[in-house]
Amino acid sequence: MDLLEFARGPALQVALYIFIAGSLWRVFGVLMLQRKPDHSEARKSGGMGGALKVIYTRAFTAPAFKKATIYPKVLGYALHVGFFAVVFLFIPHVVFFKGLFGVSWPGLPNNVIYFIGVITVGLGIAILIRRLTNPVLKLISNFDDYFSWFVTLLPLVTGLIIPIRFGIRYETLLAIHILSIALLLIWFPFGKLAHTYFVFISRGTTGATLERRGAKT
Amino acid sequence: MSTTEFDLESKRLHIKEPETRFDRQGDLTDDERVTKAMAHFAKNFGTTAAAYLDACVHCGMCAEACHYYVATGDPKYTPIWKLEPFKQAYKREAGPLAPLFRMLGLKKKVTIEQLEEWQHLLYDSCTVCGRCSLICPMGIDIAALIGMARHGMFKAGLIPHELHAVAERAHVDGSPLGVTPKSFEDRVEWMGDEHDVKMNIDQDQADVLAVMSSIEIQKYPEAMAATAKILNAMGESWTFRTDGFEATNFGMMSGNTDWQKETSMRIIDAAIKVGAKMVLLPECGHAYMALRWMGANIYGKPLPFKVQHVSEYLADALNSGKLKVKNVDKSVAFHDPCQVSRRGGATQAPRDILKHLGVDHREMENGGDYNWCCGGGGGVVTINRANELRYKVFELKMEQVEATEADALLSSCANCRQTFDDGQEHFDWKYTAESLLELVAENLEEDDA
Amino acid sequence: MKDILTLGEILQARGVSRRGFLKYCSATASLLALPPALVPQIANALEQARRPSVIWLSFQECTGCTESLTRSSSPTVEGLIFDSISLDYHHTLQAAAGEAAEAARHAAMEENKGNYLVLVDGSIPLGNPGYSTIAGMSNLDMLMETVEGAAAVVAIGSCAAFGGIPGANPNPTGAVSVRDLVKDKPVINVPGCPPIPMVITGVLAQFLTFGQLPELDRHGRPMAFFGQTIHDRCYRRPFYEQGKFAETFDDEGARKGWCLFKLGCKGPITYNACATMKWNDGTSFPIEAGHPCLGCSEPGFWDKGGFYNAVSTGDVGSGKAFAGAAVAGVAMGAAAAAMARARQKKTMKEA
Repeated sequence: MDLLEFARGPALQVALYIFIAGSLWRVFGVLMLQRKPDHSEARKSGGMGGALKVIYTRAFTAPAFKKATIYPKVLGYALHVGFFAVVFLFIPHVVFFKGLFGVSWPGLPNNVIYFIGVITVGLGIAILIRRLTNPVLKLISNFDDYFSWFVTLLPLVTGLIIPIRFGIRYETLLAIHILSIALLLIWFPFGKLAHTYFVFISRGTTGATLERRGAKT
Repeated sequence: MSTTEFDLESKRLHIKEPETRFDRQGDLTDDERVTKAMAHFAKNFGTTAAAYLDACVHCGMCAEACHYYVATGDPKYTPIWKLEPFKQAYKREAGPLAPLFRMLGLKKKVTIEQLEEWQHLLYDSCTVCGRCSLICPMGIDIAALIGMARHGMFKAGLIPHELHAVAERAHVDGSPLGVTPKSFEDRVEWMGDEHDVKMNIDQDQADVLAVMSSIEIQKYPEAMAATAKILNAMGESWTFRTDGFEATNFGMMSGNTDWQKETSMRIIDAAIKVGAKMVLLPECGHAYMALRWMGANIYGKPLPFKVQHVSEYLADALNSGKLKVKNVDKSVAFHDPCQVSRRGGATQAPRDILKHLGVDHREMENGGDYNWCCGGGGGVVTINRANELRYKVFELKMEQVEATEADALLSSCANCRQTFDDGQEHFDWKYTAESLLELVAENLEEDDA
Repeated sequence: MKDILTLGEILQARGVSRRGFLKYCSATASLLALPPALVPQIANALEQARRPSVIWLSFQECTGCTESLTRSSSPTVEGLIFDSISLDYHHTLQAAAGEAAEAARHAAMEENKGNYLVLVDGSIPLGNPGYSTIAGMSNLDMLMETVEGAAAVVAIGSCAAFGGIPGANPNPTGAVSVRDLVKDKPVINVPGCPPIPMVITGVLAQFLTFGQLPELDRHGRPMAFFGQTIHDRCYRRPFYEQGKFAETFDDEGARKGWCLFKLGCKGPITYNACATMKWNDGTSFPIEAGHPCLGCSEPGFWDKGGFYNAVSTGDVGSGKAFAGAAVAGVAMGAAAAAMARARQKKTMKEA
């Protein structure tokens, strides 16, 4: 079995199993802790409506905070958009997801994806520099922050190297790329990348609680 | 005769900057303190706290909302950083990966040094104002978590000693400032005489149970007269009760859930005793949070009465036309108390009142639900070593108010008033916060005198 | 029977002009990416080459490789060269049969000991020697016997090079490649199912000229022909980059000649000369004809995830396995929560 077969086969399989099991473990481990009912008299209805509202609205910064947070906000969002574009709109990826889920969708031309990818890597570097130099972030950042950055950027970088080649065989580069994705999948549920799930749970909890009070969300 | 060698070279009368001290209560050993802290952190690790603590992505935006960080630029005041030991304890003890973290030694046990160091961050530099909770892109209610973390700190005997003193006083005497049922009754009667207002005290039955904060009772007693005047004008069946008069809840602020329950239950029991349909809370911020939103959960079931902040009551009364006020010709800025407006949901009420009063209400920039905290809430105003820091953040308030160029500043929280008074004195400032309730009471359009 | 004529003499006798011959040598040189200065050397070597003895062994094969080689649309110089080697043993092409054929083989082996070439097509079954026998001899035995005195071995076609279709899952005969068995002789792999004819003759020409193995890649394939992927030389590559793909056979994209990646083309991971040299004297190749590349010159191409599944679809396991992982995850989460609650109770009690 050569490296590519290993990467596309057992490595990716195991990574996917760990990804699924780990994600459910992380989420259910939180959801199945104690939950206390709220007996106070509601001002408005909270519940699922409030939860959904805040899941949506918290994506936007309130005017009072905009000026102070515009730089990290733009960086962060742009990174997410770039990342999602590359992952979900690069046609070989679209075909991969079709194999996995059976559904397909249109993609973007390769050159556009390469361009977005390069910009996204640049954003990633800007984000890292910020984390290393901003006094607040320097204080509160830990291994999780830096390692999550690394495993997220690595597939982007290894993916971009494939068309550039640098004289290395395509299969080798593809194998490394897929292995970097396996690493991302394995780390995903255990570090801060799990915010993918918690963004809904946490915002939803706040929405359900505070909306019910008529408090500001 | 011996001569003493004096050091004449080094700086004399050199006062060393005292290091931030931490206070200790009781004579527990360090290990016992840590154990207590862990236990009382742990009792909060339900789904809500867990969802929040697992959601943090270390984006650092909460710092930008916090008046302590904004005023000082010191990153240690980053709100989520104030929760670091609490978060660490969660991840080690109750998180989904906790067994893994323990087995692999990836999260250390919280140490006594950490808890001591964090006393300043959890008490001196947090008013639980909730601005951070609004900015967090993950929707983490950081303010609520601070309240939970304080549970552990209290039981570990690691809270600022002044805060402990007032909380203990409230536990022993029933009031943080030592107001006794007798002294309450005396002051009520005094205000009734002074302002020629009919006072109802210790009636067996009433639709409305009125409670007051000790700050008002001791420092702004006119509030009691104002309250009575309005309730009389509304023709309510109301009473004060000497067995349930204290609206403040220092158990909640200091982190002692037993004392929190004790304080709340006094009001609840008194209200039930008189068959009250409504408990009227005074101009106090955290009193609203304590009873309106936490009271029923402490009671264990829905409260058998409504709870309203006096500003809500006044707004309803004015909006329905049951109460009428004269026009007040001045320009005012309004300081929204954090626990009533942003955290409590009663932001509109004071605005309705101001509309009826016909004042020129100049909304402050970053006001309303996003208002800068006065800096005295959450027990901070009691902590002397935190004064310098409190004055630093107060500068934000002064800037904010001055920008309106209003004639006066109003608020509806006695603790905010107290904080503004102190700020006014310290800075020789033009403004302080006056009572919205008292303004209404002074300007009632009455058919009878 | 030994022939004493050199290759040059044979070509001359058949009417191939010197010019034509040199043209061939130039073409060969450029094909092999050799500098023009070497053309005289190639010409000289080929001219002087005494028709080497070639023994062709056919094992578990479909004869497609031989068919490919002999199916020329018109007589070519390559064909002539091929005719001009001394093909002393070839099941399909030889006139002799039975014991006479085997005798011819042994004679060639003896007379040219140390100098003859062994060309092999078809895989060798190890499961049971009886699966494939010739003259009562197992393929394994015949291979090992024949290569003993060989100068070099050329495994022609994917079966000989990698095990091919007999070696595909579940490989019931235990088929293996020549390289798996022959360790002490130079082995050149010329895979493909079948290989391009000109590739075969080009390899032979190179070997005859320089007497050494050409530069081989990690799979023992000559770099000259197997150094680039189909993808990197495919004329439809711009469509790949532009995101224009045929979604199904005979749809608009297919008719417009768009990239066949989504239809399972293995071009990106297949090393061969099809995109440049093409087939039938440069007529066309599968992609040009509208069918995705099967990847037939790669080891195990039958088992590389299906001809019509794109390269980027992985073999990611069954739905059952995923369901199992999901259940495991929920269980671990529930267990962690239960443990947390128990710990909560315990610490509360201790405090």
